[in-house]
Amino acid sequence: MVKTRKLRSRPARKPLRRKSPLPRLVNHDDPIVSIIIPAMNERATLGRVLREAGKVHPRSETIVVANGSTDGTPELAEKCGARLIRVPEPLGHDVGRRVGAEAAAGQVLLFMDADMVVPAKELRPFVQAVLSGVDIALNGYSGPIRRREVHPVVLAKHVLNGLLLRADLKGASLTAVPHALSRKALEWIRPEALEVPPLALTKAILLDLKVQVVHTVEVGRLNPVRARQEERGKRVDPLTRLVAGDHLEAVEWLIKQQGARGGYSDLGRQRGRVR
Amino acid sequence: MSRGASASRSKLLARRKMIRSTAESQRATRLALRAGEAGALAGRAARENRGSEELSFQMQEGFREWYARYAPAGLPIKILLPAALAYHRGYAKACGAEDLWIPLPLQGTVTAIVTASNEEKTLPAVLAELRKLPLREIIIVLNGCEDGSFAAVDQDPRITRLSFPQRLGHDVGRAVGASVASGDILLFTDGDICVPAEELAAFILAVDRGEDLVLNDLTPYLPAFAGQDEVTRCKVFLNHALGRPDLRANSLTAVPHAMSRRAVQAVGTAALLVPPKAQAMVLARGLAASAPVSVDVIRSNRVRSGNSGAGNAVAQMIIGDHVEALGEVMKTEGVRLSFATLPRNELAKVRNAK
Repeated sequence: MVKTRKLRSRPARKPLRRKSPLPRLVNHDDPIVSIIIPAMNERATLGRVLREAGKVHPRSETIVVANGSTDGTPELAEKCGARLIRVPEPLGHDVGRRVGAEAAAGQVLLFMDADMVVPAKELRPFVQAVLSGVDIALNGYSGPIRRREVHPVVLAKHVLNGLLLRADLKGASLTAVPHALSRKALEWIRPEALEVPPLALTKAILLDLKVQVVHTVEVGRLNPVRARQEERGKRVDPLTRLVAGDHLEAVEWLIKQQGARGGYSDLGRQRGRVR
Repeated sequence: MSRGASASRSKLLARRKMIRSTAESQRATRLALRAGEAGALAGRAARENRGSEELSFQMQEGFREWYARYAPAGLPIKILLPAALAYHRGYAKACGAEDLWIPLPLQGTVTAIVTASNEEKTLPAVLAELRKLPLREIIIVLNGCEDGSFAAVDQDPRITRLSFPQRLGHDVGRAVGASVASGDILLFTDGDICVPAEELAAFILAVDRGEDLVLNDLTPYLPAFAGQDEVTRCKVFLNHALGRPDLRANSLTAVPHAMSRRAVQAVGTAALLVPPKAQAMVLARGLAASAPVSVDVIRSNRVRSGNSGAGNAVAQMIIGDHVEALGEVMKTEGVRLSFATLPRNELAKVRNAK
């Protein structure tokens, strides 16, 4: 079909769908809950994410760690009234969470992603759990497991929890949001640990902090598909290897703490019989 | 690709696979028929000789010659094995001898290592199967036996008995056996599981053809992930971490398995004490590993106190073996093993590109 340019003037456009107004956040001077949101070029969703964050708790502060953004993400966060930490270079989610946690003043630290809108009522259970004594409140989402072979990250999470004698956590992990930490947990494991989430979880469990699955938010459906890389003819998310490798760092730390067998017996093998 | 197109594509692939497997089985049948005739011919010529061992050697040589002349090089084991069995049947029938070995066209010599503690009931059957194979030696490591296991091992020039009054512990017997083995190929099995000789032959052949580590493929017997125990998950994770997800849950912890002399030397016999550790080292050193044969040892494994139920002592030990294995290879390959990536900030940049 050949398109010809119409000479007559364009009819009036349909009125634009009215954008809902930006949320107005109020950051409490002495907050109970600190909501930490790392964001890198997330203008499209950040407004809606912040609106839900504002409804979580009356005494809260919302910290946006805008890193490596070129699309006006920091300006948007500021306009909405969030506490803004601006970092010109990209950090990644995990380092972003550490930076936010270091700036947080609340007794409860709730971690969310800027690219996923989770309603406030799905966030409150995490805060409630920490307020009632849980140190690390995890999302029960594990990824799909009704198959013979699962995603390597899902596998790594189950294996690590099993090694830590916490098979009851199944595939729950600090790698998944939303999750919440108590101030005590943050101080015990140190904010740096958050840079490698499975390591943070391992430290928390070995320190006997109270780690629990408190609520399940099906983040699998909400998570946007990211740029993928070609590997062995398959399209894989490069984050897969990062997260799987993080679990090995956690295993290494377990070995450093508990010995070469991670504290597991070898049922009296007579090792001296073989040289 | 649309869902419909991908479904019809998978149907097409399945059909192709079926045609290929049918063609393969016809080829195997044709070759086996010819092998049977050749075996019968050789067997009639050998009728004058006496002694099953001497005959076995003769048959082995005869088969090797026939194989070199008539069978194409690099024949799949699935096709070769029925031919070897047919040759054996034809030969045995023609010369009227029993107890002949299954002839295999091997380049290297084979040592079988069997560990047993209190296995008098199953041991004779296990040995009977092993004796059907062209092995150089059979090493039996008896440990902590209070029953008639020792007596159950009969006299045979090919059999070496190693006896320890105390239990050596899990997997130690295999390492002890390996440290005295002289063959180029080491086949490992247990005194409590009777695996047919033809199935064991496939493990030997795979090593003889260049594999360094040949594992039992237990994939067909695994439940869905949700029903898998922690040990199975650890096994899959270890293979993943070493860049071999295709090996799935297959592990040196399960018998039967076979190793090349080169693999044993590369990891050292002491590493065999902790099978996942030896496996991790073999994989980290880039040696050839595969799981081409499937033997159901799960159903036939004896249930003992301590090896059944979730969280049992043996399961805990095997989980510890996997921690030890990961720690060992981290020393040479770096903590993140095959999961090395860009640094976090670089990765964020790559992923943020829409």
